[in-house]
Amino acid sequence: MKLSYVIKRVLYSLFVFAVVITLNFFIPRIGVEDPAERYYPPQGNMSEIEYEIVKQLTREQYGFHVSTWQQFLNYLKGLAQGDLGTSFRPGSPKVLDLIKERLPWTLVLSVSTMLIGLIVGVLFGVVAAVKRGRWQDTLLLNASTVMVALPSFFIALVLSFYLGFEWEIFPAYTDSTMVSEFAWTWEGISRVARNAALPVMSMMVGSIISYAQGTRNAVIAVTNEDFVLTARAKGLKRSTIRYKHILRNSLLPIVTSLGMSISGLIGGQVVIEQVFNWNGMGTLFLEANQTNDYPLMMGIMLLLSGFTILSILLTDLVYVLLDPRVTVGDKR
Amino acid sequence: MKRLWMGVRKRLRGAGELLAKIWAHRQGKVGLIMVTLLVLVAIFAPYIAPYNPYDVSQRTTKGLPPSWQHPLGTTINTGQDIFSMLVYGTRVSLIVGVTSGVCIAIVGSILGVAAGYLGGAVDTLIMRIVDIMLVIPTLPLVIVLTNVLGRDFWIIILIFVALGWTGLARTIRSLVLVLKNTNYVKAAELAGASRWHIMIRHILPGTSHLVIMSTALSSAGIMVAEAGLSFLGLGDPTAISWGKMLAEAQSGGALLFGAWWWIFAPGLGIFLAVFGFMRVGLVLEEIANPRMKRTSSVYKLFRSLDSSYVEEVFRSMDDYQRIGVEGVSSGGGQSRGTGLEA
Amino acid sequence: MTKRLLLLVLVGALALPLAGCQTGRGSHRPDPNTLYVGAVQSSFPSAYMPWLSREGIAPTIANMLYSSLFSYDEETDRYLPSIGREWYYVDENGEPILTEDGSIDYARLEEIYSDPQYDYLAVKVIIHQDITWSDGVPLTVEDIYYSFDLATNHALSNHAGALAWTSDLKHKYNNGVLVEKGLFTYERGALEQGYHIDPAERDYVIYLHVNKVLGAVTPLFTSVLILPKHVWEPVVSRENQLNSSSPSAELLYRYTHPVGCGPWVLDTEQSGSQQIVLHRRQDYHLKKPDGSPLYGVDTIKFILYKEQNVALYALLKGHIDVLDSSVSSNYLLLFAKEKDLFVSNAPGTFTQTLVFNLNPVASERNPLRDLLANREFRKALALAVNQDELIKNVLDGAGVPASAGLMRPSLTDFYNPEADSIVPRDYAQRLALANEILDGIVPDKDKDGYRLLGGERISFKILGTPGEQDVVSFLQIQFKKIGIDVQYAPKGAQPESTYLYTSKFDLVLQGVIFSLSNVDIMYPAHFSTLGRTSNYGRLVNEGLNAAIEEMRYTLNLNRKYELLKEIQPMIAQEFYKVPLYTANVISVARTDRFTGFQVVEGSTVFNSESLQNLRRVEGR
Repeated sequence: MKLSYVIKRVLYSLFVFAVVITLNFFIPRIGVEDPAERYYPPQGNMSEIEYEIVKQLTREQYGFHVSTWQQFLNYLKGLAQGDLGTSFRPGSPKVLDLIKERLPWTLVLSVSTMLIGLIVGVLFGVVAAVKRGRWQDTLLLNASTVMVALPSFFIALVLSFYLGFEWEIFPAYTDSTMVSEFAWTWEGISRVARNAALPVMSMMVGSIISYAQGTRNAVIAVTNEDFVLTARAKGLKRSTIRYKHILRNSLLPIVTSLGMSISGLIGGQVVIEQVFNWNGMGTLFLEANQTNDYPLMMGIMLLLSGFTILSILLTDLVYVLLDPRVTVGDKR
Repeated sequence: MKRLWMGVRKRLRGAGELLAKIWAHRQGKVGLIMVTLLVLVAIFAPYIAPYNPYDVSQRTTKGLPPSWQHPLGTTINTGQDIFSMLVYGTRVSLIVGVTSGVCIAIVGSILGVAAGYLGGAVDTLIMRIVDIMLVIPTLPLVIVLTNVLGRDFWIIILIFVALGWTGLARTIRSLVLVLKNTNYVKAAELAGASRWHIMIRHILPGTSHLVIMSTALSSAGIMVAEAGLSFLGLGDPTAISWGKMLAEAQSGGALLFGAWWWIFAPGLGIFLAVFGFMRVGLVLEEIANPRMKRTSSVYKLFRSLDSSYVEEVFRSMDDYQRIGVEGVSSGGGQSRGTGLEA
Repeated sequence: MTKRLLLLVLVGALALPLAGCQTGRGSHRPDPNTLYVGAVQSSFPSAYMPWLSREGIAPTIANMLYSSLFSYDEETDRYLPSIGREWYYVDENGEPILTEDGSIDYARLEEIYSDPQYDYLAVKVIIHQDITWSDGVPLTVEDIYYSFDLATNHALSNHAGALAWTSDLKHKYNNGVLVEKGLFTYERGALEQGYHIDPAERDYVIYLHVNKVLGAVTPLFTSVLILPKHVWEPVVSRENQLNSSSPSAELLYRYTHPVGCGPWVLDTEQSGSQQIVLHRRQDYHLKKPDGSPLYGVDTIKFILYKEQNVALYALLKGHIDVLDSSVSSNYLLLFAKEKDLFVSNAPGTFTQTLVFNLNPVASERNPLRDLLANREFRKALALAVNQDELIKNVLDGAGVPASAGLMRPSLTDFYNPEADSIVPRDYAQRLALANEILDGIVPDKDKDGYRLLGGERISFKILGTPGEQDVVSFLQIQFKKIGIDVQYAPKGAQPESTYLYTSKFDLVLQGVIFSLSNVDIMYPAHFSTLGRTSNYGRLVNEGLNAAIEEMRYTLNLNRKYELLKEIQPMIAQEFYKVPLYTANVISVARTDRFTGFQVVEGSTVFNSESLQNLRRVEGR
């Protein structure tokens, strides 16, 4: 029974992926008759005939001289070989190469934020749950209501203004030598840490509070469950109950949503990266948008969607494996 | 005719009662006051703002610090009065937020009810679409769509609605699946009422509390999203919005010149608007489900359902997260706001 | 216990970045012989295809790594030596057509070449003898032959060749087969053609056939960057074109390791996506008159900044010496507060104009646009434009009024003041005249004072980028005075193809530059040719077209200058592209390490003159 479920889920994920690929291909072609339009050079004093030749050469170069259907097939063929397309940038770099260059930097920010959020947040959440109703709990509550209303990029601007410009504790904008002169030395790494400080701080508060809130509620909910009551009745030590039973079970939903946020890790926070001039996936996407670099934009979207699908699938499967109570009826 | 009037009066009374309930709630008071204030500011903007920021002839010296004539100073790049821009910005943010919120509520609830009640092919189709839209990262998709479709004010609202209905549809669908099995509905079916009738007269009202709450919450979320979009420079270029003010502050060199007020003002605006709407939304949630305390409200509701829905439910809760519901369990990493991250 | 753990974790989380706080305060221009230049771009190129580099910083770099035959001096309409040393128009025997004092004898030129047997002009170019490529190989005319030949052979160069602007060269290929020969060196047909070349000079002399237009040599001399034959010939083929979107490994290597003959060499080791490092070539053939190196710095390091404020911050903090981008006048206040800054407020060369869609295609015609087709109507609108007000409000005074003939008044030899005397100077008079004209065309007004056409308020949309909203707002005020309503409309993603080439607009803001070097191409493109050109409004004026044609094709330089002057009032009379202002170019550099920055019209402070004039400040 479980195997059939697994197969069903995998097939379904593939189906979703296929639809996303198709959408990915056709969206930039909305309302554009001739995708190579932009790349035709101005006519200057070329004659009409010469100019037609140049246009045809351009079309051939970018692969637009075949029918849309054929272009789609070529695109699929490329995907099967791991080719996400060629960027329109001068030099025609491969989309995958560009992504590979930027991805680690986004991961630096997002993984740091996630780790800090996870560790500090879960701890905070447990404390708030245990001390329910006391000042720790109220603090969390008030903090979360405030934080949700404050956009992270505003926090980023404020931080960059005070900590960056006014008091000069951290660099207000990312130093471009962080990437160009990077080495696995103390200096190289500390430079990265310095530049990452403000972006991570902007994102970290929201992350902490999210995890804290979630943990708190999960812990409280689980604490009220029957099996905990049973454990208490059995006379087990408080700490045993706390760690073995409550924490373990309440972590499950957190793990679930962790899985879901993997694609967020990769995509990064676009706006924060923009504020601090951090060269990650977010700014790569914005650059692509500015220059109408459709292959790059769609390559990134496809990558992110693909990862989301993958992480949802894995989360589902892990969840099914871990929680035996869940019967896998396909009630969709 | 009289029946219609009676129906309207009943609705109005119901609305009035709701408002009273919100007011009675301690935090509801705060929220209601904020929202009303904002709406008033938006409507009476020309009277409240000392200058009209859209009027070019009212610009003065660039980069002035706060003074009596200009409570928040003037912008560095154009010499407009920042306080007036803040006031007029309320209009844009509120219109985008509330319109999108209402439209999302309409679209989401209709599709959710249809999927839940009609089941079968309709359900499958709608849920497939929801799944696919869930998978594509929101902000990049919005950016691509503004690139392809244009950045007109109404197109942006359309894009938000098109991307935002999925969460609500899912939640409503889950609720409808429960409502479907109540005696009330079963009786109506036996009595031979048509499916439309049941959907509109019985099921839809049953979801009303969820819909209203979602309107408030998603309005709040959309406001943040619009601010983010304008901040990236992808919003409507002619409209003065808070996000655009932040963007102009950054690109105009507010940080270089030390004009911190230019940054704080729109930020405060966004905060107040979002906070107010969220308060109202959360209070509505509590009113709708009085059993639930703020603590583990949503989690408890769904825990009581059959466990085969749990998987479904967790998915819906993540959508809740996306529209910024406080008090939802299963912590969310970076899922804050309306999934503004990629 | 959890509390303590919490505390520990929080402290740890903050520790790492703070630790980094102390060490490595970022590089503050460590190398004394390097000029650190900030460039505001969305990205840096990784490859330099010399003819294809159109965007971002690539053209700047390409022009530093490669050279063309000559460079052009606008003030004097002369060609300065680069690769080429001298050039002449020659007769059928290859003899230069010169007057006694050595200048070009245009009278005789005209005489010889008006004979219909010639459909070309023959040009002789003599290049310097001591030029080497950056890999040490000497440069000869074979490289020049190869470059031009490749550019015209689209089968090998794809549309990169088209971008090299060689259409005025009478050397043509058709699908890989040479159909017209217009290049001649000692080894490639000079003798057969009748041009005598001394065997000792065979590596340094080349003859070209160009279109019978005096301006034909300009793009060939100044914009075609010469490529090394020994580098490209082995790899470029039909299968592996010069401009390839999926280049082979060898081709890619050549893109990323450019070999040029320019004064700078790319340091491929240190250059990357965030910075570009150029070293001065010690053996560059051009030097200062006293024999010292032409350029005052040994190394230039370009650093990428995504956003202008970021770059300005870096400049003020001392991370870079100079910013290669122009800033808006708002920042002048900021610069005044700092010391050690050199602010260049240079007159600009780029004129912002308002273009009317006066002749839309049939499907885009409507009653409003028919108004625009009426020249008197356009004249009224042009009269209402107050350039001084625009300069004051939009540019904070950092700009100058532009001429209605669109030629820069600073080019005193070519500017025709008549173009600006067809309308009164005094603004009040202009408004009165404009209202008078409009009262005769659309006299009805609504209650707000806006004129009506068929009962509807006349309202035009002006297309522009978001940054140009300001200009439109001020135009709104000015046009209100004559009762015409205008609104801003954003340009959209691909304005040329979506709006401008298809007549889907009322008015649009367009920047133009006209100078001696480009009028032969620009005048037709802006005012005559229909199609995918800058003639967005599709102007058709027979008289103007004829004058432009004659100006292009006359072989008499004096007649050409005469026509140039005559054309300006004709352009002004059309009221088709109404000038709004010419903005100054404001840029800034630090003077704590280098001094000698020069202000050059139309350029930022990072220009060739500055580079030639830079000196290290002692003791820093």
